[in-house]
Amino acid sequence: MNMKKLFAKAENFLNSDKRKRKEKKKCLKHVLKKLRKQEEKFNARLQDETDQAVIDKLNKKIALVHAQRKKGLALMKELREKKKPAQ
Amino acid sequence: MIRKIFLPSILLVLAYGFWISPDFKEISAGVAIFLFGMLSLEEGFKAFTGGLLENLLRRTTNKLWKSLSFGIITTTVMQSSSLVSVITISFLSAGLISLAAGIGIIFGANLGTTTGAWLVAGFGLKVKISAYAMPMIVFGVILIFQKSKELKGIGYVLTGLGFLFLGIHHMKEGFDAFKDTIDLTTYAVSGYAGIFLFTLLGLIATVVMQSSHATLVLIITALAAHQITYENALALAIGANIGTTVTAILGAMSANVEGRRLAGAHLIFNTVTAAIAIAMIYQLTHIVDLVSGWLGIASDNYTLKLAVFHTIFNLIGVLVMTPFINPMVRFLENFLKPKVRTTAQPRYLNRASIDFAETAINAVRKETLHLYDNAFEIIAGGLRLKPAWIRSDRPITELTNSSTRSREIDIDEQYNRQVKGLYSDIIDYMSEAQPSMSSGQSEELFALRSAGRDLVGAIKDIKHLQKNLERYMMSPNPAIRDEYQSIRGQLASLLRGLELVRHGGDDSATVLSLDELKAEMDEIEGLLDSTVDRLIRNHLITAEMATSLMNDSSYAHDVATKLVSMGEVLFSTGDINLRDAERNIALDDDEIDEALAASR
Repeated sequence: MNMKKLFAKAENFLNSDKRKRKEKKKCLKHVLKKLRKQEEKFNARLQDETDQAVIDKLNKKIALVHAQRKKGLALMKELREKKKPAQ
Repeated sequence: MIRKIFLPSILLVLAYGFWISPDFKEISAGVAIFLFGMLSLEEGFKAFTGGLLENLLRRTTNKLWKSLSFGIITTTVMQSSSLVSVITISFLSAGLISLAAGIGIIFGANLGTTTGAWLVAGFGLKVKISAYAMPMIVFGVILIFQKSKELKGIGYVLTGLGFLFLGIHHMKEGFDAFKDTIDLTTYAVSGYAGIFLFTLLGLIATVVMQSSHATLVLIITALAAHQITYENALALAIGANIGTTVTAILGAMSANVEGRRLAGAHLIFNTVTAAIAIAMIYQLTHIVDLVSGWLGIASDNYTLKLAVFHTIFNLIGVLVMTPFINPMVRFLENFLKPKVRTTAQPRYLNRASIDFAETAINAVRKETLHLYDNAFEIIAGGLRLKPAWIRSDRPITELTNSSTRSREIDIDEQYNRQVKGLYSDIIDYMSEAQPSMSSGQSEELFALRSAGRDLVGAIKDIKHLQKNLERYMMSPNPAIRDEYQSIRGQLASLLRGLELVRHGGDDSATVLSLDELKAEMDEIEGLLDSTVDRLIRNHLITAEMATSLMNDSSYAHDVATKLVSMGEVLFSTGDINLRDAERNIALDDDEIDEALAASR
């Protein structure tokens, strides 16, 4: 590891705001990934389903998971924008 | 009585010693500075317990070698086996690690603490360490005054190390000056009598100073100044090892049975190891000579040889005792049994974990889950359902139809017996734990506090609901009876849904499925007005019944809202940031309406 990298690491450690934001982004990414998989799972089930009641229920589930993902992505965008220096 | 005279006697003896010998004063000041350094070091490392240490500890519970390595490494880095013991006890009390893992850590810590002797004997005595001490203290104190928690922590660690070095320097100086006036080696006792006597002295010194590390440094500096014989120094080191368990026992007194079991394991380990060392001391010194020769340590370098001895005898202890960890766990579990607990007594709240923010939060979370279990029973009872039925997979309608027989339930009495005391204990613990927390951790605690409040609120709402529930569940009017059965069914279904989310495992998306329950509740509430209108219009229920139904539906909706919002906090797993992410993604009522409207 060269000195530049070492300093960057030390700065990262001492700059707790930056570290917290990074950690937040990591967790958000993790939850979003789970939600995406869940949405895919519901969509796959919907393809094979014939019972209208179950179809309605699955559609509701998909709508909610989709809205959660949308909200999560907006939060992620907000965090990314905070990272950028003010213009 | 002994406790009352113990402290004044120590102070008097010390004061007399200071009066007759300035060298003794310097040595004692060295010990005091050294101990102060250890306190500062512990304070510094506590700043980092908000995540790193606890995350590491959480990952070292699955394999014995990991627990052992964790004990060795953390004690080597922090130079304090007592801090590692206290953290382990707090984790054990909060139910976060198993007893076997805790014992592994303690064994490792015993081995890790021997690195202290190496550092002092190999480095501390050869280099003028006081030269390093001064800048460390200066830089450390400047950092302590900084706002950032991390910088403050580094400041405490630096200051702590500075004071440790300064303490060692004063002990060394004191003993060097001491040897010009008095030769302590004339008091040396040889043979087994000497070994037993000096083991006892080492034990007493460690109990008084509450640190085997300080005793060991004292032994090494005295040995370097030729004030004690090598043989007696070995016995003192053995005594110090037994004495250190006293710190753990004192720490465990306030802990629950798990903590006491760990302290028991510590005591067994150190006593057995000491017994082996005493019985085989002459063979051990021979092994030490061999190892020292192999390591290139001069035969008259007794301080480093003492470090070798300290490591070898603790290593033998670890090798001998490790295969017995499981029998030891069984013995301690049989020997130290938990007191008979009522459902209202806290299980995880413990003074031992109050100083460690993350552990304290976990303890509060587990205890609030315990509160939820008690509340679940009361709420199910209020709905005239058995908790086991709700947790089963029997159809909900079957449950509500099969238990219409009304039985008298006093929710107030159950609340006072099962919830009130426990809830107060949780609140009490939270207010004590909060001052040492960061803003993020305080927020988490605040969320847990509102989860508890939601649970209590839900019980109160059920109390209001059950009056009419009892009345109309048995009503000869089928329309109102069906409506109340439907309310029971909805709440039973909600409770089942909550249980599914609770036991949904580590999948972070599970807790977000509570949004689905929220949507269902809103939908049911939306249908209520039209149902009531229809029933009145068709003269199926009276106006009085309609009012009751509307009020009780509102209570049922409140119960559901509170339980779901409790579930969002309590059932989310993982670390603070993950829980925070889940909470931020969860939808509010408007967002749910919007999402569902868009899907139609």
